[in-house]
Amino acid sequence: MGETFSVSVEGVLKSFDGTPAVNDVSLKVRKGEFLTLLGPSGCGKTTLLNLIAGFLQPERGEIFIENELVTHTPPYLRSIGMVFQNYALFPHMTVAQNVAFGLKMRKVPAPKIAKRVADALEMVRLPHLGARTPRQLSGGQQQRVALARALVINPKVVLLDEPFSAIDKNLRAEMQVELKQIQKRVGITTLFVTHDQSEALSLSDRIAVMSHGRIEQLSEPAQLYRNPATSFVASFIGDINKLPCRLVSVSDAEAAFEFGGIQARLAASHAEGFSPGSEAVLYVRPEELTLLDAGDPAANFGAATVDTHVYQGTHVDVYVRYDDGRVLRARHPGFEAIERFPAGGRVGVSANLERAFLFPAS
Amino acid sequence: MTPDRRPAYFAWFILPALFLAVALVASLASLLQFGFREHIPGSLKVGGFTLENFGRMSDWVYLRVFIDSLLLSGCTAIANLLLGYPLAYALVRSRSSLLKSTILITTIVPMFTGDIVRTYSWLVVLGKNGFINGGLKSIGAIDTPFELLYTPLGVTIALVQYSLPIMVIILAAAISHIDVAFEKAAASLGASPLEVLWNVTLPLSMPGILSGTVTIFAWTLSAFATPQLVGGGKVNMISNMVYQLGFSNFDFPFAAVLSMVALALVFLVLYFMGLGLRRLERVGLH
Ligand SMILES: Nc1ncnc2c1ncn2[C@@H]1O[C@H](COP(=O)(O)OP(=O)(O)OP(=O)(O)O)[C@@H](O)[C@H]1O
Ligand SMILES: [Mg+2]
Repeated sequence: MGETFSVSVEGVLKSFDGTPAVNDVSLKVRKGEFLTLLGPSGCGKTTLLNLIAGFLQPERGEIFIENELVTHTPPYLRSIGMVFQNYALFPHMTVAQNVAFGLKMRKVPAPKIAKRVADALEMVRLPHLGARTPRQLSGGQQQRVALARALVINPKVVLLDEPFSAIDKNLRAEMQVELKQIQKRVGITTLFVTHDQSEALSLSDRIAVMSHGRIEQLSEPAQLYRNPATSFVASFIGDINKLPCRLVSVSDAEAAFEFGGIQARLAASHAEGFSPGSEAVLYVRPEELTLLDAGDPAANFGAATVDTHVYQGTHVDVYVRYDDGRVLRARHPGFEAIERFPAGGRVGVSANLERAFLFPAS
Repeated sequence: MTPDRRPAYFAWFILPALFLAVALVASLASLLQFGFREHIPGSLKVGGFTLENFGRMSDWVYLRVFIDSLLLSGCTAIANLLLGYPLAYALVRSRSSLLKSTILITTIVPMFTGDIVRTYSWLVVLGKNGFINGGLKSIGAIDTPFELLYTPLGVTIALVQYSLPIMVIILAAAISHIDVAFEKAAASLGASPLEVLWNVTLPLSMPGILSGTVTIFAWTLSAFATPQLVGGGKVNMISNMVYQLGFSNFDFPFAAVLSMVALALVFLVLYFMGLGLRRLERVGLH
C-alpha cells in the first residue's frame, strides 16, 4: 500500500520537436503539501504542470492523481484546480458565476452552489463582490477570485503557474502570505510554479529545482541552501562564490586543495569522490567568508586586496581580488566593514569551509 | 499603447480619404435627386419634381422583392455562421497544419477567382444535369433532378459560398483573440470540450459572430451577379430589380428610390450592429 500521494509523476518525458522539455522527471507530492517547481525560464516548469493538468500527454512515463492513473485522462476528468498567470477569469460572467462554474459543470444543485460560492468568496475575503464582473476588480482581487474558483470544487490538487508575476511588488508579498494562510487552513495540496527563488523559499514545504527539463534537487528550502546537491542548485539558490581549484591531497580526514598558489583544507566528507590532481570548483557563500586584518594568523584562505564595497542595507558585500586576478565576495553584517577594510588595502581572508561545497569542474 | 506623438505628415493622409468621400457623397447626392424627378416613359431624360416615386414603393411587387432579399440574406448569413464557425475554429485552434491549409485553400482561395467565374461554376454544379443532380442520379438516389438552378435554395447556396471566406476571416480573427487560458481554465474546472465551446468559446466570440453575421447580411443584401445568373430572372433581389428598372425600363427615378431605400436598410442594420457591439463591450467582451 504505502503512502497515498496527491500527485505522482513517474519517469515522464515530453519533448517538442525532438527537444525534451521535461526529461525523465519523477516527483511525488504529499497530501496537503506546498511544493514548488523552481527554475530558470524555459526549464520546463509550465510543461510539467500542463502534463499533470492533462493539457499535454507525455511520450513516456505515468502520472497518478491520488493513486489513480491519469496519464491519458482529459483535463476535465482529473479533479484539479488551476490558477493561471493572468487569472483567466471569464470576462462574460460575474465573479459569482465564475466561482460557480466548476460546480455547475459538476451538476451541483443550485441552492448548494449559492452556499458554496458564498463560502468560497468569504474565504478569499471578497464576500460582497459576487455581482461584479472581473473587469471591475483590481489585480489582487482577480487573483483571489481565481483562487476561490479553483478551490471551490474541492480539487485533489491545485496548480498555480506563476500566479503573482503580474502583480506589483508590495501586493505580491501580501498575496503570498494570504495564499499560504488559505493553503494551510484548507489543507489543499498545492503545486506552485515560479522562477522567483525568494518566493519559493518563503512559501514552500519542499522545492523541486529544475534545470533543462530535469529535477536537480527536491528538498526543503533550508536544505537547498545549506546542502545543494548539484553545482546548478548551489549557484541558482542564493549568492555564491565559485572558485576553480585543484585537489592536492585526499586523506581519510581531510582534503587539501590549491588555487592561485594558496592552499586550504576541508573535511574529507566534503571531497568524496575526488582524487589528488583532479580539477574542481569550490562553492562558498559570501557570508561564509570573513575578512581579517592583514597578517592575522586566522586567515586560512590567503591574502587579497580590497576592490569595492556594495552596501546592501543590512550588510556590506566586499569584493576582494587575489594576486592572480580572481575576485571573491565577502559579506559582513552592518556597515563597519566599509571603514575597516578600505579599498586598495590588504586583508586576510578566512573561509568557513564546513559550509563550502566542492563540485567537479565541468 | 498608441504613441502619443504621431508624425505631422500623417495629417496629409486624410487627403485620399477626403477625395473618396467627396466622390461618394456627390454620386449619392445625384442619385438622391433622381428619386425626386418624374419618369418620362421611353426616355432617358427625367421630368420635374415629384414625390410619386416614393408612393410606388408600397406596391406589393416591389415590397415582395425587398422581403425576399431580406430573407435570402438572412438565410445566407445564418448558413454562413453555421458553416463558418467550425471552419474558423479549426483554422485557429487545430494543431494539424494539414487541416489548416486545407481549410484555407478550400474556403479562402475561391475568393480570388472573381464573381462571374465563380457564379458560372455554380450554373454547372447546380444545373439539371449538373454535378449535384448527376451525382445523385448516378448513385440512384433520385430519378428526377432537383430543381436547384433558378430557385431561392440554389441562389442561397451560391451566395453562401460567395461570402463564406469573409465570414471565416472575421470569425477566425475573433476566435484567435480568445486567450486559450479561458478554455484551459474551463476544462480544469470540469467542462467537457463541448461544454467549453458552449459556455466559454462561443460567448467570447460573440463580437465576431455579430459583426460577421451582420456584415454578410448587409453584403448579400446588395448581391447582384449571383442572383442574376443563378436566379435566372426567377429569383430577384434588390440589385436585380434596380438593374431591370434602370437599364431595361430606363426608369432611373424609381431605380434611384429603390437604391436609396436599400442603402438606408443597410445603414439601419449596421447601426443595430454598432449598438450590439457596444453592449458586448460593456460586459467586457470585444
Ligand atoms: N507548445 C510548445 N511547442 C514547442 N516548444 C515548446 C512548447 N511549450 C514549451 N516549449 C519549449 O519547452 C521548453 C520548456 O518550456 P516551459 O514553458 O515549460 O518553460 P518554463 O519553465 O515554464 O519557462 P517560463 O519560466 O519562461 O515560463 C522551452 O524550451 C520551450 O521553448
Ligand atoms: Mg512557464
